[in-house]
Amino acid sequence: MNGNGSSRSAGPKPYMNPYLAGVVLGLTLLASFLVLGVGLGASAGIARLGASLQGCIMPGHVQASEYFGSWGKAPLRYYLVYMFAGTLLGGLVSAVVSRRVQPQLERGPTAPRGLRILLALVGGVVVGFASRLASGCTSGQALTGGAMLATGSLLFLVSVFAGGYATAYFVRRQWQ
Amino acid sequence: MITTFFGSDALGSNGAFLVALVLGFGFGVALELAGFGSSRKLSGIFYFRDMTVLKVMFTAMITAMLGLHLLLAVGVITNDQIYFLPTVYGAQILGGLIFGVGFAMAGWCPGTAAVGVASGRLDAVIFLVGAMVGSVLFNELYPTLAPVYHWGDVGVKFLWAALGVSSNVFVLVFAWVAVVAFWGAEWIEKKVAGTGVYLGSRFLKVFSIAILVVGVAQAILPSATPTPVATAGAGEPALLAAVEAGEDHIEPEELADRLMAGDKTLVLVDIRTPAEFAAFHIPGAVNVSVSELPDYLAPHKNQGTIVLYSNGMTHPAQARDALARLGFNNAYLLTDGLDGFMRRVLKPVSLREAPVPSDLGAKIRAWRLFFLGSPKSSAPQPALAPAEANKLVLPEWLAQNLSRQDVRIIDVRPQPAYNSGHIPGAVRVDPEHLRGVVGGVSSMLLPGDMIARHLGLLGITPKTTVVIVPSEKLQDATLVAIALERVGHRRYAILDGGWERWVAEKRPVDTALPEVHPTEYPFDPKADTFSVDYRTVLQHSERRTAVLLDVRPADAFSGKKVEEARGGHIPGAVNRPFTSDVATTNGTTALKPVAELEQAYAGLIPSKDSPVVVSCRTGHQASQTFYVLKHLLGYRNVMWYDGGWTEWASRPELPVESKP
Repeated sequence: MNGNGSSRSAGPKPYMNPYLAGVVLGLTLLASFLVLGVGLGASAGIARLGASLQGCIMPGHVQASEYFGSWGKAPLRYYLVYMFAGTLLGGLVSAVVSRRVQPQLERGPTAPRGLRILLALVGGVVVGFASRLASGCTSGQALTGGAMLATGSLLFLVSVFAGGYATAYFVRRQWQ
Repeated sequence: MITTFFGSDALGSNGAFLVALVLGFGFGVALELAGFGSSRKLSGIFYFRDMTVLKVMFTAMITAMLGLHLLLAVGVITNDQIYFLPTVYGAQILGGLIFGVGFAMAGWCPGTAAVGVASGRLDAVIFLVGAMVGSVLFNELYPTLAPVYHWGDVGVKFLWAALGVSSNVFVLVFAWVAVVAFWGAEWIEKKVAGTGVYLGSRFLKVFSIAILVVGVAQAILPSATPTPVATAGAGEPALLAAVEAGEDHIEPEELADRLMAGDKTLVLVDIRTPAEFAAFHIPGAVNVSVSELPDYLAPHKNQGTIVLYSNGMTHPAQARDALARLGFNNAYLLTDGLDGFMRRVLKPVSLREAPVPSDLGAKIRAWRLFFLGSPKSSAPQPALAPAEANKLVLPEWLAQNLSRQDVRIIDVRPQPAYNSGHIPGAVRVDPEHLRGVVGGVSSMLLPGDMIARHLGLLGITPKTTVVIVPSEKLQDATLVAIALERVGHRRYAILDGGWERWVAEKRPVDTALPEVHPTEYPFDPKADTFSVDYRTVLQHSERRTAVLLDVRPADAFSGKKVEEARGGHIPGAVNRPFTSDVATTNGTTALKPVAELEQAYAGLIPSKDSPVVVSCRTGHQASQTFYVLKHLLGYRNVMWYDGGWTEWASRPELPVESKP
């Protein structure tokens, strides 16, 4: 890693032009439509991981429950679980190449650590719950269904931003 | 033309998993390159300081939308190869609002959090743990939330169709809105954060023009854009061709194999009545009435395999053809219906006429094990085997089954007698409460829906074994029994010897109130095939096509004693007082031995298949004879004229015979 000073000197590489990144993302989604016949998704992978972990602790209960139970005895044998693993992997490779791996609790310069942890945790619970209620998240509903022009998915997209803008003011302290 | 993993039903294959992993990789790279490994950057959109989320998301949507639209238009891919997301108004709007709250709090959404974890963000790890907890929470609350989850489920719906425009026009407008949004986002960034680096840049101008041009091109290019919802029905010739080729069937063996393999793409629909469904159905089936099929199946239109079945094939075939006309290309009917499934899949090897090859034999055993459970399975067996249903049970049997949740005891004795002691858990039913004025005739058995409501209040379901406890008046018990039959409830028995024998054998007695959890009893309006009205009876009387059995006392039959408008009996009727079937010994009234009854009725009715109409004054006593003939002696064609002499005598146009 010594020798070539010009590539070593810089910190993280700059982000990609967002429009071009959008095109890359859109082409990935299109490829998913054409090969898998379904769009992208992320929350189902997380939920199935949750079901699987809960199943380790209380297998009978998970199998007997109406929602998780419908996923069968091997909830991880599902394409979206593999897609989630791929997303982690792709993110990791890209972050390493772009020198953007920075272990940290990301927050505003004066924001209390505890507040950020609390909001990330509660926000996670809320998002995990809502993704199951709506059968998808920003990837599986908003992006995928939006590209299909599905009525419900576009309503989901609008609702997400309505909910987000209504909340943002009250949680702004974490970014200050 | 492309065949997708979804289109070939292979989303659960290892190949699909590998493709998903690769696509996920691309997804992760795209998100990371856009800067979505940072929660601070992501959350910028909520404070107007960084609009990257809007730019990336809108561009991605436009890109995929244009691409998909063009490829569908030129026929590279057809819409049956793609899983279109259904619209569930309530769940998606409410879910979206809640999601937005969490998104703004955490600064993450599920996909970006994966990239955040890869970028070393601790808050992304915390978020993902939370999201798993939230998913588990949803699962735990699902029984309560299920109505919300399905609230406003209208199946696959497209916004352009709702707005009444063509999809091309909508995509064009969407592209233009996106361009305006991009310029707006840049302008907002410039105002709020002093960035907006692409505002007025050569790049954004070229990019905007490119989107607009492609948008216009797709709008004018092929006029014959396939419209996913408007997939016209197959058309009659195509439908008839499919019927001729037998393409509308699925064989029971194939269905059994796919169910055993846990095929999630199967939608198995039982279109029989709720009562039949409750009694038995193929595991995994849902019960939907024919009229509700289009609504229920809308989310599955052209996705997966819909299989309809009934006992036979007529109704499923009619329903399947109607669905095909509605544009369903994935509806099938089960060859030979449930009967065929029983005969070809579940019938044990030992009972099959034709020799069974060993590999088929092994298959049959596997099917039976899967669908019927292992013989040693601990699954609760019904308290009463079907063969024993409607018979008499001994106090000893009832004592052994007293604690079962699926046994309900009905005591028909008067209120004071019941209150001062009854079989533990028994409920009291006054047989008169099951009767009322119907069509101007008094003391008629109530219509089925009212009886079903009664049964629901008693906590009875189609799976409950009902044991009726008579006292000295056996007809009180048989009237309750005939009420059960009217709603299609077959699983009942009458306690032999009744209350008196129970007490004489020193069985447990209780005065406490029974525990009852009301249910909704689904009744089968077609279950009552045995009740006949005076018109039918008149026909049988004139043509002598049935044995008319009048069970009133002899002096009422002969016309010697007149308690009604007129005395006498229906022309051609024969008399066999109901009291002739019982004997009282030591205060215990019980039916006479079956052999004795058998002999008595053999002299009155030519064969077990002969039509018989039983009647009395109000239908009450005749219910006892009905029970004796049908359930104890096995006469197969017994009818019950509930109106009886009360009605017959009051209709002056009806003929009367007044000599025996």
